[in-house]
Amino acid sequence: MSLKKKRFFAGFMGAQAKWLNSMSKKGYRLIKTGKLQYEFDECEPGKYVYTVEYVGDKSLEESDRYKAFLEDMGYRVFYKNINLDYSIYKATWRPFAEKGGRISTTRSTYNKELLIIEKENDGKPFELHTEKDDKIDYYRRLSYPWYFMIFLFLIFAIIAWPFLPSVIGLAAAALLCAVPIIINAIKIHKIKKENQLEE
Amino acid sequence: MKDNVKSGALTEVTFFILLSLYVPKHGYAIMQFIEEKTKGRLVLGAGSLYGAINTLTEKRWIEPFGEDGRTKEYVITPFGREIAEKELRRLKELTAIASGIIGGECA
Repeated sequence: MSLKKKRFFAGFMGAQAKWLNSMSKKGYRLIKTGKLQYEFDECEPGKYVYTVEYVGDKSLEESDRYKAFLEDMGYRVFYKNINLDYSIYKATWRPFAEKGGRISTTRSTYNKELLIIEKENDGKPFELHTEKDDKIDYYRRLSYPWYFMIFLFLIFAIIAWPFLPSVIGLAAAALLCAVPIIINAIKIHKIKKENQLEE
Repeated sequence: MKDNVKSGALTEVTFFILLSLYVPKHGYAIMQFIEEKTKGRLVLGAGSLYGAINTLTEKRWIEPFGEDGRTKEYVITPFGREIAEKELRRLKELTAIASGIIGGECA
């Protein structure tokens, strides 16, 4: 019997993967994703493991190619939205998007910013990125949308300059956006340290 | 994946991918090849493999091979073979020097 659950994880990919893995341990395998909804079928507890990857900065063509590659590896792959829509008429603002596509209606990875990847549990950790440079590159890509957000808030702040309360609000928002950048920078630093060659 | 062009040294992953593609293979088989040959010491994630395949294809060290149904296969190019052979010569020279100093009986 299938089970439907509603959850929203936004950009918290680790939390999403953790939740899917805990569902699998309880004997539920993901079969369908909606905007907020996840549909599960019963399965042998712990038979599958999940990981979540950000592809929102890729073109649809490129992420489709990546998805096909992962499927060739024997994994099951689902697209998932990272944002909820904030749409006014036909323009949609999407902070997680590739360059030039942030305010747009064009064909892109719109509402397909994440991939949920499932493999049969073989006891080994499910890591897609195992190489130093590749890992660093991935965390850098994760930070780009946040740099863009900070930039936007700064522009707003300049526009709102004489009106102090809104400038303070915008500065606070910009500071909040710096948090994920700092977290990613710490991760990158750790990877660099772990992978240092002995000299 | 940074392969040092000046010294000719390849990363381990690059060298293994090149070696695996002397016989055409698809992604999953490349991953298995590396894991088997290194007895599980080197395990390559699918995302990293995807990036490596793209980089090596851009460099024309490997290229897509035919269309085996839906799965895409890759094979090493003549240029890629040159690179791999050069790396083997470099490693042989290195081990020869090292063996001469440390002793060759180290298995």
